[in-house]
Amino acid sequence: MNGLRTLQLGIRSLLRRDQVEEELDEELRFHVEMETAKHLKRGLSPAAARREALRSFGGVEKVKEQCRELRVTRWLEDLARDVRYGVRTLTRSPGYAAVSILTLALGIGANTAIFSMVNGVLLRPLPYTEGDRLVRVQQGAPKAGLEDIGVSPLEKADYAGGRSLAAVAEHHTMWFNLLDRGTPERVQTGVVSADYFRVLGIQPILGRTFVAEDDKPGAEPVLVLSYAWWQRSHGGDPSVLGQKLEMNDKTHTVVGVLPPVPAYPSKDEVFMPTSACPFRSVPEAAIDRTMRMTNVLARLAPGASLEGARAEVSGIARRMAAAHPKDYPSDQGHSATLVSLQEELTRAARPTLLTLLGIVGLVLLLVCTNVANLTLARQLGRGRELAVRAALGASRGRLVRQRLMESLLLALAGGALGLLLGAAALRLLATFAARFLPRAEEIAIDGTVLLFTLLVSLAAGVAAGLLPALFRPEPAAALKEGGDRSSMGAGGLRVRNLLIVGQLGLSFLLLIGAGLMLRTLGALHQVDPGFRPEGVLTAGLDLDWSKYDTVPKRRDVYDRLLAKIETLPGITTAALASTSPLRQSYPFKQPLRIEGRALAPDQPLPQIEMRIASPDYLPTLGVPILHGRGFRDEDGPDAPAVALINRSTARHFWGGQDPVGRRISFDGGTSWITIVGVAGDVRQYGLDHEASDEVYRPIRQVPLLRSRLLVRSAVPAATLEKSLRAAVREIDPEQPLFEVQTLEQARADSLAPSRLITLFLGLFALLALVITATGIAGLLAFSVSQRTQEIGIRMALGAARDDVLWMILRQGGVLLAAGLALGLLGALALNRVMAGLVFGIETTDPVTYAGVALLLLAVAALACWEPARRATGIHPMLALRKG
Amino acid sequence: MTSPGKADLLQGTLDLLILKTLALGPNHGWGIAQRIQQISRDVLVVNQGSLYPALQRLEQQGWIEASWGTSENNRKARFYRLTPAGERQLAEATDNWERVSDAVARILRTA
Repeated sequence: MNGLRTLQLGIRSLLRRDQVEEELDEELRFHVEMETAKHLKRGLSPAAARREALRSFGGVEKVKEQCRELRVTRWLEDLARDVRYGVRTLTRSPGYAAVSILTLALGIGANTAIFSMVNGVLLRPLPYTEGDRLVRVQQGAPKAGLEDIGVSPLEKADYAGGRSLAAVAEHHTMWFNLLDRGTPERVQTGVVSADYFRVLGIQPILGRTFVAEDDKPGAEPVLVLSYAWWQRSHGGDPSVLGQKLEMNDKTHTVVGVLPPVPAYPSKDEVFMPTSACPFRSVPEAAIDRTMRMTNVLARLAPGASLEGARAEVSGIARRMAAAHPKDYPSDQGHSATLVSLQEELTRAARPTLLTLLGIVGLVLLLVCTNVANLTLARQLGRGRELAVRAALGASRGRLVRQRLMESLLLALAGGALGLLLGAAALRLLATFAARFLPRAEEIAIDGTVLLFTLLVSLAAGVAAGLLPALFRPEPAAALKEGGDRSSMGAGGLRVRNLLIVGQLGLSFLLLIGAGLMLRTLGALHQVDPGFRPEGVLTAGLDLDWSKYDTVPKRRDVYDRLLAKIETLPGITTAALASTSPLRQSYPFKQPLRIEGRALAPDQPLPQIEMRIASPDYLPTLGVPILHGRGFRDEDGPDAPAVALINRSTARHFWGGQDPVGRRISFDGGTSWITIVGVAGDVRQYGLDHEASDEVYRPIRQVPLLRSRLLVRSAVPAATLEKSLRAAVREIDPEQPLFEVQTLEQARADSLAPSRLITLFLGLFALLALVITATGIAGLLAFSVSQRTQEIGIRMALGAARDDVLWMILRQGGVLLAAGLALGLLGALALNRVMAGLVFGIETTDPVTYAGVALLLLAVAALACWEPARRATGIHPMLALRKG
Repeated sequence: MTSPGKADLLQGTLDLLILKTLALGPNHGWGIAQRIQQISRDVLVVNQGSLYPALQRLEQQGWIEASWGTSENNRKARFYRLTPAGERQLAEATDNWERVSDAVARILRTA
């Protein structure tokens, strides 16, 4: 083909479409005139000559249409025309358009929001250089059941000697108090080796990261700020470089600011080199292999595979254990492996996000069937229009495309609206997601998300429009007897039946999901957490290690703090403890040895969790002492060492015997502690987690640096927080209180993921129910109007009203039964997905299944009622005459 | 519509006949149809439904070009004329046609 010429003609026919059309008209008119003239010459009358000319020509419009089809830019022209025509038809049925656009917007918006999260958290590459080559060295003590025990600086050096790791950096997190910014503030500090940022491939957005000189002993203390903390505390002010910050007993200079990076390995606010960390820089770090305080991150050497590197690391670990047997006790076991950062950063989020994505996918499917159904219904009334267009020469493909265009327009409008909805929902979702996703900061609507939304919109448009568009109008039938109805009756009805069955099935699925989640939430609410959260306020209280560097100093400040707080008005009890219930915290496990019990050879000691608490901790929480006594103020440093155990520890280790008075040890038998009482079980890690084996020790015997304050009172939380802060300031003006939260809030937070999924499923199930109900009602109403004659004949032949009523209801019943069967199959297939989300019930919970089936039955019956009633009202004579 | 003794034209054939007709001089659509009918002594009848799409197709191929002119009865008409590319195409297609029709004729004679 002559390319240039084609293009010329194409552009001409596109830009000067009217002129091209006119020329075609003119040319054909000329032809007919010449033909007429020819017939005139043969002696025909003018009228007969013209008739003959037209007859021999065939259909003028048809020829024109064939010429147009040939135009190169035809599709573009058609597109523009289809769009115009589509918009016009749609504005003529605003109800249909509005309902379709709105439901599509809900479906597409939900998909956009959830996909943004999936994209930001699971799909986007880590914001590190070649993030897929980064690994973390994980050491475990398998025989003691410990998966991750950390790595000591000495061990890190051994691993760095391996050939498959190109660069090895270390990290650990400390909490330090920042003093010189008005109120004292506690900042989470990442303590990292100088090459840490280089290994990860993070470039600062301001200043520099650390260099080797920063990490030398005696170096000038420097800090690098995280992006989030820089924004929060300095409002993103670039003049922060060079500022001095008082921390611990040193003055630190800010040298750089990081870009937003995942909160990994922990949510650090500022970073300092290892030499500045008071704990990391102790002399023992250079000689004690068991100071396993760091995370070790590494980059795989070029060409090294993850498997190969794992094998090497595990070999190094075996040689270490053989060389230093006393640092690697054989009863604990020792192992090392590599964990990919990519995998570690997404593990927690994957199931929740994929579940949500599945839910919104189902919703979109449902929305598409609904729009398809609406479109079909509308089309049944357009039979004549389509037939006329076909008779005028519109090709089949042209008609299909025209109608597809309408649903695409709806979907694109729905997509645009959905994008707005999704963006609004995303802001809420991302805030929520930050609680359990390390990469929540990276969630945003970016190019990938926009492309996804566009593709989903187009797919939804095609899905909703293709089926109705494929219905071929039968011109003859449609044109003959005002036959809008009959022209595609039977086939259309069959497809609509199938669509309704599909909707019922999807609704059933969503309702089952929502039902199971509701029952789960109910079960979670009914769970006895083991404590009474009402009226308890908690706050973090980390002592400054440099100020409270000895045990007596800590004991003293705790005593004074509690004494002061207890005098505040409205306070029932106040306590200090190592943690408070339902907090995300690492288990503090200790090896338990029981006096008088023989040790099984080569068998590790059982690990149980230790909590440190002041005497009023259990009363403040409302945890009962089941047996023996609680802690007293007298359980101090000079009194005999005492402990409380919880009920599950008592049951596991003493069975029916009385544990009170028995002695236990956590240092292998060097010192012994007497059990003085048994406390009730507390669900520490979440309402859906059984209580673990726990032992409590009095804070006056084990003075902590990091603790949480718990106060039970009748005073409103906000007022109480103010007076608590004032009280703490009075004792030590440099002491911050942080993460102030009521236990009720903590309880609500722990239910948040279940709530979110329940809310999602519930809202969408409701939407599905409404869509399905209107769908059934619409379909039956249509079917009744189609069968008016038939019903009239039946009634004329003696059918009672009840018979007619039942006939219509039966039709609905068949749909419902098929839909339920479909939904049931789907629900059973998706059983495994729900298994990870439910609590306290089975995924095949008969109550939920029966309830949902009944609900659908009731809704379907309601939807059938009106059409059925109308059917019984048909007057036989009128019905027959109408035909 | 076709009376006995008259034949409809195959598409490729119609293209060839149009090119041949235009090789005799520029002409408009109706004129081309008349010319084909006359020369074939009314054996070949050009269906208008295929004539105009065929003209458009040939124009897009660059083998003919169109311009507005005045017809023998002084009326504005769209005239088509052969382009150099069209002449080459005509030669090629004529060759081809002769080869094929020879072959077909030989088969029909012997079989």
